[in-house]
Amino acid sequence: MRDRARGCLLGLAIGDAMGAPAENLTADEIRARWGPVTGFLTDRPSGTDDTEYAAFSALLLLSHGAALTSDDVADAWITHLAGRDSGFSGAGFSELGTIENLRAGLRPPASGRHLHSWSDGLAMRAAVHGVYAAGDPALAARLAAVDGAVSHSGEGVHAGVAVAAAVAVAMTGRASAAEVAAAALDAVPADSWTARSLRSALVHAGDVPALLDAVVVRAYPWTDLAPEAVALAFGAFLAADGEFAAAVTGAVSMGRDADTTAAIAGALAGALGGLGAVPADWQDQIGPVTGRCLGEVVAGLHPLDLADRLAAHLGAAT
Amino acid sequence: MSERRDRIAGALLGLAIGDAAGWPAARHRARLLPPWTRRLHRELDAFAEAEEVTTLPVPFALNQPTAALALGPSDDAEWAAWTLTWLGAGAGPLTRGDVHDHWRTVAAGGTLPRGRVSVATAADALRRDVDPPVTGHDNPHHFDDAAAVRGVAIGLVADGSGTAATLAGWDAEVTNAEDGLRAARAMAATIARLVRGEPLTSAWAAAAAEHVPPDTLLGENLAWALDATAGVTSAAEAVPLLDRPADHVYSYGVAAAQTVATAVALAHVAERNAEPPIAAITAAACLATTADSAPALTGALLGGAHGLSALPTTWVERCRRLAGCCSPDLAGLDLVELAGSIKERTPA
Repeated sequence: MRDRARGCLLGLAIGDAMGAPAENLTADEIRARWGPVTGFLTDRPSGTDDTEYAAFSALLLLSHGAALTSDDVADAWITHLAGRDSGFSGAGFSELGTIENLRAGLRPPASGRHLHSWSDGLAMRAAVHGVYAAGDPALAARLAAVDGAVSHSGEGVHAGVAVAAAVAVAMTGRASAAEVAAAALDAVPADSWTARSLRSALVHAGDVPALLDAVVVRAYPWTDLAPEAVALAFGAFLAADGEFAAAVTGAVSMGRDADTTAAIAGALAGALGGLGAVPADWQDQIGPVTGRCLGEVVAGLHPLDLADRLAAHLGAAT
Repeated sequence: MSERRDRIAGALLGLAIGDAAGWPAARHRARLLPPWTRRLHRELDAFAEAEEVTTLPVPFALNQPTAALALGPSDDAEWAAWTLTWLGAGAGPLTRGDVHDHWRTVAAGGTLPRGRVSVATAADALRRDVDPPVTGHDNPHHFDDAAAVRGVAIGLVADGSGTAATLAGWDAEVTNAEDGLRAARAMAATIARLVRGEPLTSAWAAAAAEHVPPDTLLGENLAWALDATAGVTSAAEAVPLLDRPADHVYSYGVAAAQTVATAVALAHVAERNAEPPIAAITAAACLATTADSAPALTGALLGGAHGLSALPTTWVERCRRLAGCCSPDLAGLDLVELAGSIKERTPA
């Protein structure tokens, strides 16, 4: 379990760092600039908000365990995040919208009711709920929904729940990539945008133009729509049949919200294959979280250390 | 003109006047000029940034005809007129399928007017054979007020407030969901009540009770805005208070939860203080973030409550003819005449 937890959180951090330079680019622009994506796109890769918010959610699970409530999460956001006055480098609309709501005195679920409640900001951090609830997708889904109620509603919560449930199943080590994706779909309402988008990923995985055509909203300029992000992440994961390097590079090469889609793909593949599935030279590129986005509450935390702590309550069985 | 006809024309012209009053109107109308004029505008914006000058560009014609940039209505008035036109072209009871079929046909034919993100996204989905309500639900701007603006037109056509909400719901679910849908139903039902002589306060209260649950962003913003402005003595005085629903986090200001809340609050302030409709409309135009549609919705509510005769002639004369900036087919259409030609429609 500890090995797969490590694979998951390091995989998330690797995907985040590898995808960051490709964020908001198109697949064609990425190919023109870097050629086929085979690894990190810069010499000094660096994680972004995805890793930092995942670390923040991990700390909440370590403090409260399965008894975590949305009020606990809201209190932590107020204590550690709402007081920051220097902005939130790398964060998206949903994070600042939430903080503005919390500052105005709103509590969950009202704090998550803003105009960006469908963002992929919960999906990017929900892998930690799957690690903590390894083998129990229902618990993972519940914990992701509890965490997400502070910052999201509707599709934003559904997408996070899908990632958490899928990681919980991947953590068993006994699932195929298709079964991991099926767990994501099982965890969300069938009549939701997220479910429809995930079904598109199942149909079009491996055919990048068809997948992008099916799930990208042409008439919208921002790329952080949760239904789209999880579809691209699961599409890359399925096209790679769960193999780590191909899943992460596949997500990066499609662009859009590439740091988040690659972080999710990396978390899924890392949980499925464990740390051993993660190329050693990629592992070496990931250090402790800088806190550039969220500050000292997460600065210095290492994904491997967080993984060990999240998995400590799980059985020794692998 | 009968009182009912006066109120119908008042709602439509009030919407057009508010549409014209907001700063985005000139940006929308600038579409009638060659694209290079708008490219130069963008370059001048970058110039101001690069050279650190505070002289910001405004929509300009250079050597082109300036008529497009004159004060006048833009997208919201054209969408209301488009809705009235297609509803008025038919006869007999409408089904949900009729409404969806109309959208499917115009989307496939490429004749849909230029519209908001919600509308463009829904049109793309319709062309891919996705059906409503998925077209409005799987939509990044499902919460916007595109359908609420069309709901004003539907409130004028419907034969009662219940009918108005039903028809507006069928139309709204093509492009919107959740708050976008609730706002459309509430606006349509309110307008239908207003043109039948019901006072604004009771008309809105009845429509909101039926169509806007309190535990939604729309419901919360409405309650907050009405409460925050309860003690002010003029619409102008309410303006700074209504900066809050604007949010300032997001890149767009057309969410129904923002614009409808602002419009309803300003209309109530004007009503309570016996101010003319134009006072609330111009107040709404001061809120830059929501200036695209909050003034138009404010004008629709107060114009519907008090009629065309309560709107200043100076504004009516400048705002009654459409420019065609979203749909060339609508260029030159006279809204006063259109209002006079409205026939009632009922759902099947």
